[in-house]
Amino acid sequence: MRRREASTKVMAAGTAVEPMTVATAEEIAAQEFARIVESHRPQIFRFLLSSLRDIDLAETLTQECFLKAHRNWSHFRGDSSAMTWLMRIAINLQKDYWRNRRIQFWRQTRTNAVDLDEASEWLPNGERSAEQQMLAREQVAQVWQAVKGLSERQRTVFLLRYVEERELSEIAAATGLSEGTVKAHLSRALGRVRAELRGTR
Amino acid sequence: MNWEQDRSGESPQMELELEQALKHFKASMDAWSYAAYHRPRTAAKLAVRHSWRMAAGWALGCLLAAGSLVGAGHEIYHRQQLAKLAAQKAAEQRAAAGRATAQPTSVQPVSAQSDKKAPAATVRKVSVGAQDGARSQDDDLLATVDRDVSREVPAAMEPLAQLMDDNGTQ
Repeated sequence: MRRREASTKVMAAGTAVEPMTVATAEEIAAQEFARIVESHRPQIFRFLLSSLRDIDLAETLTQECFLKAHRNWSHFRGDSSAMTWLMRIAINLQKDYWRNRRIQFWRQTRTNAVDLDEASEWLPNGERSAEQQMLAREQVAQVWQAVKGLSERQRTVFLLRYVEERELSEIAAATGLSEGTVKAHLSRALGRVRAELRGTR
Repeated sequence: MNWEQDRSGESPQMELELEQALKHFKASMDAWSYAAYHRPRTAAKLAVRHSWRMAAGWALGCLLAAGSLVGAGHEIYHRQQLAKLAAQKAAEQRAAAGRATAQPTSVQPVSAQSDKKAPAATVRKVSVGAQDGARSQDDDLLATVDRDVSREVPAAMEPLAQLMDDNGTQ
């Protein structure tokens, strides 16, 4: 490990404090990164799981996302939040996956994606009657059906908004789209969900 | 989340239903993601699956290699058999041709002494006859070739070639 003296000096209350070694700076950066992994990993996993409906794949891409983030951690300047930065990496990984999948069509035969009925089965055990539970499950299935019919971009925007509860500006930063485009995609996605809900009434 | 931002001009009942559906969807996604994220993972199971795949891959590879080897062996054997048959046929044809040319010599009268060694002598005669026949065939062939070659001499040698041809025919 490199042990050379870093030129960085931490200034506190107008006085120069002991110079920090590179090793110490690296240790601090590693600790900070570990904290970020711990706090954001479940959210990145959830986003990828909702996008892909494949647990193993979502886990693999989450790992890859944090591996990429770790490699580029020194380049992260904090222009956006760490979460937005990580989301951008996850979105790009997901895009790559879909692109590869389209080319390598045989991958479809070994996909582990669960079907919509199975995905709709998941509901928290709230204090609800059996009827309410059934109604909720039906609504979840309808939303999944609508999500299935969305384009890749619409789906990403929709999931970031209604599952990850991100602000429009954050979604725009993570996807690289303008806020206006994000709004347009959201509007179309909501239109589809409405149509799905209306269709079963 | 500020739901008011995403509202459209739909009926309030529809919007309420949509809001509820989206809330349930998020709750469902949270529950599924939590369960998947915290599910127990056993390394042994993964290793077993991996080794099983590896074994299957190896078995398939070995099968393919063995298949190609057997195929190649069979092809070689088949070719050898064909070559043998062809050689046999050629030998038979040669023997038949030899017999055809040797027949007049076998008719010659033989002495009483040679009657005792009749089978061996006949075989020797047949083979000698076959050899003679083959030799005369070769001579004929060579004579034809010589004639053809001598005809294709350059223009300057034409008179000499004509002379030789005349001598040969006379």
